[in-house]
Amino acid sequence: MHISWEYPPWVVGGLSQELKMLLPEIAKRVRTILVVRGDRDEVSEMDGMRLFKFASSIRSSPHILAYIHALNIDLVRGAAVAIHEEGDIPLVHTHDWVSCIAGVYLKSCFGAPLVTSVYTTELTRSRALGALLNMGIFDIERHCFSRSDLVIVKSREMEEHLTEKFGLDRDKIAFARSADDIIDAYRGLKS
Amino acid sequence: MAITWEYPPHIVGGLGRHVYNLSVHLASKGIDVTVLSFTDGTSERHERADGVEIVRVNPYVMRYPDFISWIEGLNMLMVERAADLKSYDIIHVHDWLTAYSGIALKHMWRRPLLATIHATELGRRKVLTNDSERHIHEMEWWLTYEAWRVICCSEYMRREVHSSLGCPADKISVIHNGYDPKMARANSAGPRKKGKKTVLFVGRLVYEKGPHLLVEAASLLKDKDLRVIIIGDGAMRPYLEGLARKLNVSEKVTFLGHVDDETLLSIYEEASVLVIPSLYEPFGIVVLEAMSLGIPVIVSNTGGLDEIVTDGKDGLKFQSGSAEELARAIVRILEDEGLRAKLVENAKSRASEFSWDTTAEQTLELYKRVLDEYNANDWKPKAGIR
Repeated sequence: MHISWEYPPWVVGGLSQELKMLLPEIAKRVRTILVVRGDRDEVSEMDGMRLFKFASSIRSSPHILAYIHALNIDLVRGAAVAIHEEGDIPLVHTHDWVSCIAGVYLKSCFGAPLVTSVYTTELTRSRALGALLNMGIFDIERHCFSRSDLVIVKSREMEEHLTEKFGLDRDKIAFARSADDIIDAYRGLKS
Repeated sequence: MAITWEYPPHIVGGLGRHVYNLSVHLASKGIDVTVLSFTDGTSERHERADGVEIVRVNPYVMRYPDFISWIEGLNMLMVERAADLKSYDIIHVHDWLTAYSGIALKHMWRRPLLATIHATELGRRKVLTNDSERHIHEMEWWLTYEAWRVICCSEYMRREVHSSLGCPADKISVIHNGYDPKMARANSAGPRKKGKKTVLFVGRLVYEKGPHLLVEAASLLKDKDLRVIIIGDGAMRPYLEGLARKLNVSEKVTFLGHVDDETLLSIYEEASVLVIPSLYEPFGIVVLEAMSLGIPVIVSNTGGLDEIVTDGKDGLKFQSGSAEELARAIVRILEDEGLRAKLVENAKSRASEFSWDTTAEQTLELYKRVLDEYNANDWKPKAGIR
């Protein structure tokens, strides 16, 4: 099961394009469920995946951190429907901190291994933790990444960054750029 | 499972006392109650007290830019902690403060969610002026939307939750709060009033409680031989002390701040009248405590107070917001011995209609009804919960 806050046509930034190239390829190799924030609650098929699209329940938040917490509960709503209606899932794969909170909830409740792909972090986006909001996001990232069983990166620089700034054990970081790499990483997780 | 951001020893307001009393009385009826709550590191993370299992999480492992994200971080850790426990028949959350964890657990566990709405953001503030207030308001809406049933402590709150959150009125059950009978027992000999007449206020010093109205009323009663004692603390205290100086009633009005229960009882014994001048009051437990102690009460005609007190029978009511009407009521009650005796007698009888045991009994009935509906429903967990 993949969880993301964006996937075309529900676009926020570059992550949706990244996933549009990656997830259909993964779906060709293993059965894939995608839970994503959408314009309404709906279950359908898309790009070879079972799609659970769930809308944000609330509209107002004082900042992105507050919004993401609430959004992740909506993502959990979608994931819970998928799990209860489609059966147990072998793993949950989230993308950046914006959907990782849901992954932590699902891992806690259902015991599914948690995989997190990290494309950027608050430190790489903001350069410095200059305000409490930046620190709050960094701390959520650190908490979620530490709860993840496997962290996937696309560059050696990010691997260094995660070990140096987040204290992640190098053994649980996988370097993977393609669908095949990622599925290999999943297999390593199972073993 | 009850989820609450405050539970003894961490008490902020009436919500924590409500959850404590409800939990203890439910446990005394043989119900397996677990309370998931907050700790700052000074209380046990897991303990059993008064028959209740208490599990606490400490949110100070992360940094937060504001109160809302602090609450969200607390809820996140609560969900993780809850998943380490077991699945419960009912998830019962209190106010928006634990809506996040309640909604997440409802969907993952597929167990019914109940919500008690003690107060609303719109009720407290009258108007929503920024995104933080709107976020809280929307979380309240979401919680009542997701809840199987919603509990309010008064008809006033039922109307408010219906009108401001759009929650169907027939989804809301009114279950009144109780009060702590220990307070009444400690004063079974009745109040003993000596010397100068004492007008008492007990509550948080915030605008919605209306303490400024009592200070203003005191300024209208300068020629009367009385003193005003204000118990409680809050953001409004410096303003109130300044107001008392400005109105030349500093000698008449004493601010005691927060006091422990023993001190409060001794002050109750000396009180001639308790004034509750709230502008917003979903229920008003303090009025029941005073009525049970035999202290005459004057309340504003708002919220739960308006439902508990019948004007001229078991207390006096005044127009909410009017210091002039409040001053007239104080004079009336202090100068008419016959009226006071009648009010006190009737008030004791009225207060006896409320108890935490009754609150727990009615809540338990609601739990049973919800479980019956749930058991007759297809919405059940189909995947394995850890």
